[in-house]
Amino acid sequence: MNRVPPNPAVLCQLYLDAVLPCLSELVAEDAFARDLTAGLNASIVFRVAGGPARSVHLRDGAVSSQPGSCSHPSIVLLFLSRAHLNAFFSGRKWALPLLAWGGWRIRVLKGFSTLAERLEAVLEGHEAVISTAAGRRLHARLSLMAAGLGLPSLAAGDVVSREAFRSLPYGMASFTISSEQGATVWFDRQLDTSRAGWSAPPRQAEVCIAFGDAETAFAAMRDQIDTMAATASGQIVVDGLIPLADGLNFIMQRLRVYLQPSKS
Amino acid sequence: MTATKDRYHRSLELFERASQVIPCGIYGHTAPAAALPGAFPYYAQRAAGSRYWDVDGNEYIDYMCGYGPVVLGHQHPEIEEAAVRAQRDTLCVNHPTPIMVELAESLVSLVDFSAWAVLGKNGSDMTSWAIQVAREHTKRRKILKVSGAYHGMDPWCTPGHAGLIEEDRVHIHDFNWNDLDSFDRLLKRYRDDIAGVIMTPFHHPVFNASQMPSDGFWPHIEAACRRDGIVLILDDIRAGFRLDLRGSHKLFGFEPDLICFCKAIANGHPLAATLGRKEMRVAASKVFLTGSYWNSAPAMAAAMKCLAILRAQDVPSQLHRTGESLMQGLVERGRRHGYTVQPSGPAAVPFITFDSDPSMRRRQRFCAEVTRRGAFFHPHHNWFICAAHSSEDIKTTLAMADEAFAVLRAENL
Repeated sequence: MNRVPPNPAVLCQLYLDAVLPCLSELVAEDAFARDLTAGLNASIVFRVAGGPARSVHLRDGAVSSQPGSCSHPSIVLLFLSRAHLNAFFSGRKWALPLLAWGGWRIRVLKGFSTLAERLEAVLEGHEAVISTAAGRRLHARLSLMAAGLGLPSLAAGDVVSREAFRSLPYGMASFTISSEQGATVWFDRQLDTSRAGWSAPPRQAEVCIAFGDAETAFAAMRDQIDTMAATASGQIVVDGLIPLADGLNFIMQRLRVYLQPSKS
Repeated sequence: MTATKDRYHRSLELFERASQVIPCGIYGHTAPAAALPGAFPYYAQRAAGSRYWDVDGNEYIDYMCGYGPVVLGHQHPEIEEAAVRAQRDTLCVNHPTPIMVELAESLVSLVDFSAWAVLGKNGSDMTSWAIQVAREHTKRRKILKVSGAYHGMDPWCTPGHAGLIEEDRVHIHDFNWNDLDSFDRLLKRYRDDIAGVIMTPFHHPVFNASQMPSDGFWPHIEAACRRDGIVLILDDIRAGFRLDLRGSHKLFGFEPDLICFCKAIANGHPLAATLGRKEMRVAASKVFLTGSYWNSAPAMAAAMKCLAILRAQDVPSQLHRTGESLMQGLVERGRRHGYTVQPSGPAAVPFITFDSDPSMRRRQRFCAEVTRRGAFFHPHHNWFICAAHSSEDIKTTLAMADEAFAVLRAENL
């Protein structure tokens, strides 16, 4: 229950590096999102003037993204500041980005806008999404992905997380939903750097946290389960460097302060 | 988990019921999640001497000793008799009983720098009260402690994350064990506002190897406290009466202003104590201290008997010898199987880690294998030796360890 306010620079990085990448998973796992992107072939750059950027590629019904501005984008959405980007991503109507390039691609913009709304509904767990098992599964997968991918940004710039990291051992952690294909996010923290990925970890992680199924992951991601009891009964398995898992769990909760301030 | 279901069938069954009505199922330091879920028993049935039995009937040589309190062995007949006899007279009455006076006198005579003693029930009762006494005595706010040290479950020191607010620790500052520069930096920054320094005699952080004080560490801390009028509080809750009956500071050659005891003081009966210098007496008298069961006589009677036996039998020396033979045996057997085992901490409160084991999996597997064979080794928390551990127990344990090392080797872990 830490009331240290979110750092706008960290929030901006979270939107770019943890939230936008979830589009790929959304489109891969959600028929509605897949339909939206069918036939859309474009590269969209989200860029903060004098700051970070991320490129999102829509190709043949799939989405991928990469940090930075790609060459020859179809659309460039320019934000005047990190605060501007944060306001836009948090749903402020007045915070529309400047269409620096590609403003005439109305179909892409409309399609992407609807896709972004779907992502928001899934990540925030809107009732219409989580009222079904499929929606809860999707929410769990994407929440896990965003939480893991958000760790490097928190480690780099969030005061509360940095303090927590000070007492954590170095190493790699992986979080996975055992019953799901390809639902693994990993985070690797070394002395000077940290990185994360949504894939099988590049080496054996020092600690592996496995949620038995999507419903357990769903409940855990929403803080609706007694994780200590779930761990003791085997619904959640923690294998290896427990202090790292415990600390990262705490830091992941800090993500809520950023992305779901009303619920933190 | 599946492989151990049969062995811990009743434990898991009870846990299933517990998790319906108890947060965490089992909470705190004995929570299964803090060890290795499924690889250790969850519930105990009975205990005697150096052994205990879980609810599935599995027998263990106990190297946790109730996480420390059992120093003479489970259900020690003389201690139980003393407690039962006291309970026949009173359990919970409107006043303290004479035994409280006798126990305070006994403790004060045991710990040479002390002029007074107070009694509580748990370690946290004492450490939290002690920092208040330090603040009252000095009229200052800051408390320095070692990063990663455990001093209890109150907001100023809990290792947990939940339910805390920033203000809980505004005046609590950490330095690193054996790092006098980090200590001196805090001294410099807060010099006129430091009320107390609270430390354990050696560093026993959970999950990690214990660390003994380096040469000059304690003398430097002690001298700084004396020079700056800072109250030096020794949290001897875990090690007290196991290393030296007069307080663990005797072993390390310094003298605190306050010392907190618990665990081994009454061989498992609920009791804690803080003793202090004469100069702290007025402050101690001003800081409110009470609890519903704190005047209860049976635990005090148990403590009187426990202290008498500890003294008569020079138990700390015995614990040291027993711990030494266990540690040496583990190192030797590990070496035979190609493992470098690192013993840490004093022999009476020992722990082991393995070289080249950053994930702790080797240690976890080893402890689980030894436990499965009948000697309870915790993979993440220091162990405790008690006077009931016999040479035969050590021999049996080392044979189990030999088999466990062989399992590790076979699995190439």
